[in-house]
Amino acid sequence: MHDKIQDLATAFCNGRLGRRELVRRLAGLGLALGSVETLLNAAATRAMAADFDWKKHKGTSLRLLLNKHPYADAMIADLANFKALTGMEVTYDIFPEDVYFDKVTAALSSRSTQYDVFMTGAYQTWQYGPAGWLVDFNDYLKDPAKTAPNYGWDDILPNLRASTAWSGKPGAALGGPGAHQWAVPWGFELNNLSYNQTIFDKLKLTPPRNMEELMAVAAKITKDAGGPYGIGVRGSRSWATIHPGFLSAYSNYGQRDFTMSGGKLKAAMNTPESKAFHKLWVQMIQESGPKNWATYTWYQVGTDLGAGASGMIYDADILGYFMNGGDNRERGHLAYAPIAANPAASGPTSNVWIWSLAMSNFSRQKDAGWTFIQWASGTDHLLFGARKNDVVNPVRNTVWQDAEFKERIAKSYPGYLNQYDKTAPDAKIYFTPQPLFFNLTTEWAASLQRMVAREVSVDEGLDKLADSVNRQLHQAGIG
Amino acid sequence: MFLRRALPYVLSLPALLVCIGILVPFFTAAYYSLQRYNLAMPGSREFVWFGQYLDLLSDPDFWVTVRVSATYAITTVGLELLLGLGIALLLHERTRFNNIVSIALLLPLMTAPAIASLMWKLMTNPNFGVLSWLIAQVGIHDFRWASAPGSAMFTVVLVDIWVYTPFMMVLLLAGLRSLPPQPFEAARLDGVAPHFVFFRITLPMLAPYIVTATLFRLLDSIQQFDIVYAMTQGGPGDSLMLFQVRAYLDFFQYTNVGTSAALMVVLWAITYLLSHVFIKQWLRLRERTHGNS
Amino acid sequence: MAIAKILRALALSLVLAFFLFPIVWILLMSFQTNEEILRLPPSTFFRPTLGNYIALISGHLETAAGELDITFLHNLWNSILLSTSSVALALLLGVPAAYAFARFRFRLGEDIAFTMLSFRFAPPLLVLLPLSLYFQDLGLNDTYLGLIWVYQLICLPLILWIVRGYFEDASPDIEYAYRIDGHSWWRAFTRIAVPLAGPGIAAAGLLSFIFAWNNFVFALILASADKQPVTVGALAFVTASGIQYGQIAAAIVLSILPTLALALYAQRWLVEGLSLGAVKG
Repeated sequence: MHDKIQDLATAFCNGRLGRRELVRRLAGLGLALGSVETLLNAAATRAMAADFDWKKHKGTSLRLLLNKHPYADAMIADLANFKALTGMEVTYDIFPEDVYFDKVTAALSSRSTQYDVFMTGAYQTWQYGPAGWLVDFNDYLKDPAKTAPNYGWDDILPNLRASTAWSGKPGAALGGPGAHQWAVPWGFELNNLSYNQTIFDKLKLTPPRNMEELMAVAAKITKDAGGPYGIGVRGSRSWATIHPGFLSAYSNYGQRDFTMSGGKLKAAMNTPESKAFHKLWVQMIQESGPKNWATYTWYQVGTDLGAGASGMIYDADILGYFMNGGDNRERGHLAYAPIAANPAASGPTSNVWIWSLAMSNFSRQKDAGWTFIQWASGTDHLLFGARKNDVVNPVRNTVWQDAEFKERIAKSYPGYLNQYDKTAPDAKIYFTPQPLFFNLTTEWAASLQRMVAREVSVDEGLDKLADSVNRQLHQAGIG
Repeated sequence: MFLRRALPYVLSLPALLVCIGILVPFFTAAYYSLQRYNLAMPGSREFVWFGQYLDLLSDPDFWVTVRVSATYAITTVGLELLLGLGIALLLHERTRFNNIVSIALLLPLMTAPAIASLMWKLMTNPNFGVLSWLIAQVGIHDFRWASAPGSAMFTVVLVDIWVYTPFMMVLLLAGLRSLPPQPFEAARLDGVAPHFVFFRITLPMLAPYIVTATLFRLLDSIQQFDIVYAMTQGGPGDSLMLFQVRAYLDFFQYTNVGTSAALMVVLWAITYLLSHVFIKQWLRLRERTHGNS
Repeated sequence: MAIAKILRALALSLVLAFFLFPIVWILLMSFQTNEEILRLPPSTFFRPTLGNYIALISGHLETAAGELDITFLHNLWNSILLSTSSVALALLLGVPAAYAFARFRFRLGEDIAFTMLSFRFAPPLLVLLPLSLYFQDLGLNDTYLGLIWVYQLICLPLILWIVRGYFEDASPDIEYAYRIDGHSWWRAFTRIAVPLAGPGIAAAGLLSFIFAWNNFVFALILASADKQPVTVGALAFVTASGIQYGQIAAAIVLSILPTLALALYAQRWLVEGLSLGAVKG
């Protein structure tokens, strides 16, 4: 019986059998659709095994450190296939997102050999990499004995590959000369608008296309929607307040966080253009932002949209994606749109968050670890995750061209594919990589809080911020 | 005879040894505090003796931390002492009802502050929070709880009071109930006014308990982290950047081991001094009450 | 007198309202869906659901981002294991030490006592990181034993300090009389001193149990996911696809229950036991 099913699955993979026909025949064998999906992936996985020795590390046991996240869930759901493909054993530790990076920092700084592979953001590699805690994947990617010929590294979006590579020289361009590939992109977030279609319909609004329209629409919602406020953005005292919508809009005005001159960094947040942008942003929050803005993290921004307390959010597209399902009151009512804050800009410039896979330098089985990363970031698994689970946004071009994935998204997430198409070309990390990233960006957020609370004017606040940032850069010997 | 002299050491040594194990990392941390040491910049690690401490003293942000921590500790402990004492007086009588009430009042202490704060954050949310809704019913519409600089301290102090007053209450209640009845009976027979009894008999006799309870609370409060970090992450601005919040960020987010360790050593020195003063007082008060009885 | 009584009742009601309202509210939330929790005005009338508890106990939960595996019961078990063993060890070590400090004046005695108390006040962050390095070398990393050891930082000083006061206030005469009868020091300690100090020990034990139970950071840094207590476990409901408030509320309720049961059981001793000088009165 089992062989029969596998034959069918292989036939489907090779294109000898249509999907509908396959399901019909399998049903004849007494199989439901759910098990079909896993089987298909198993068949695809066998196809992948053709010209690479996946069994090389058979018997090895890997240990992963994971964040509680849909990407991790999808990977775990598909893990049996990896085990079958490689004969390796995989165990994992999952920690809640709230404390995840504390755990990673603790494990790495104590040189723990416990974990081989872990999830990380790109910004974190700016610390972990120079600290000597990460493996540079360039050596693996170039070695045909270690990397499968059909892995398709080039299929991963080029901006993401660059954004996870850095030479370690403060201020040097990401992915530039001498860059170490500290991590492999796994899933990423664009920052655009997610909005409540019901509210927009009621007030006869169309999605704003730039900062001016955004402020007008947000003000209109706050005034006329009868309860909900206009625009949800993060505001807590954390670097995470700066990196989504705020930095995307900021970059759209051509503004930078730092300038480089003579190999030294210098704060660039207090240019006249930057001040003008900050004034707009602060005004937008004061007029139509959440009342408790200064405590708002990813969770509050999302919760408000999902519960109908806000009209739109300028944050990660996948946050809006999640809020459109589950037991959220507004499920099925959300839509998505790209935004280019600067009316004069040619298109959106989204800063990105990239969940990536990295390998601990203290791992005792790095080759086996790389085998796992190849599989987890490979086309087959990511296709599986994107079609059947919530691996949005996928990092591979192939997956974005996949009809089944596109159909699924287009059906339930209006405007999502459009915002992706419009935004992806110029989406990358717009921060300047440097070792004080978390420190200085958090200070930026604290400064923004003071401006919104009217404790300090925008001009004065930014001048003070720049002074403080320059002082710290100087103290650290990089400015 | 030797055995007799050795006995107290034999009895206390195991406890001490278990704690001493913890001393080793303490010295390691103190050693880190003498270095400029950011994990993300291993090349620039250097030994600077007390350079970090001097930097701290000249850093205005450090003094903000000192001021905010002191305000937080004094406000919370002061209010908790008053409230705890008041509640203990209300529950003074040994009745079954009072005992049950005192256990019920311990419930906030039993909810872990890190998780309870999540709930407080929800309850004070203007869109879904029951507390925001309640105060709106009495006409306060634009109160922004932890997110406005003017009310952030108030909000976290409120949560701290909710969590830790029960601790103060139960220690003081225990003290109150253990006071010998004779002085109170004598005072009653002499017809002494109640407030006079309270200030001249109850309070002085209760002093050792007040000192113990205050000490435990004060030293915990000056090291507050859970509530403040969960509610505001130290913001808005720098308005709640307590010692531990700053040190936590310095280490876990900024990987700046040297600064973090220096801050912690300063904090530890403050707590050490405070506890020294308090324990001197405690021993003195105990001698006195023992002398009286 | 009547006015005083009314005032007292009023004051007590206010106190109960302030301290118990959030608890009651959390209890109500634990029977609501997230959709009911996230609305204003608050849902006072709702169809109670056991869904949150069922999710916690069965270990499965459907969320916006698919199925969520919950290890909450295992977390609860870890909490019980860690707190109970830590308090037991702290009592074993702390009670004899407290007795020594109370009964004997010995060289360095006061200094040792103070040093131990001061451990209670070492900022945990200060020792944690170096500690994780040393634990690595000692093989204590990611072991219950290592955690129980570190938990002594929370439990031992509290027990030591409270029980010591208790021993000091208990008159030594009974012990002396018992020993003159020809009993050994050890018997006097175990048969007379410890039972007399029973309430104090129970109360100190309960308080340190509560503090150990509420601890968060030690296990997070020093152990892997399968050894995390409820405090870390409850954070698993803060998911990428939203905060599951209903489950958090249910988790709080479930995590209070063991401590509450213990407190009710020890009710009689709790207050008496903290009264350092109860025996004397």
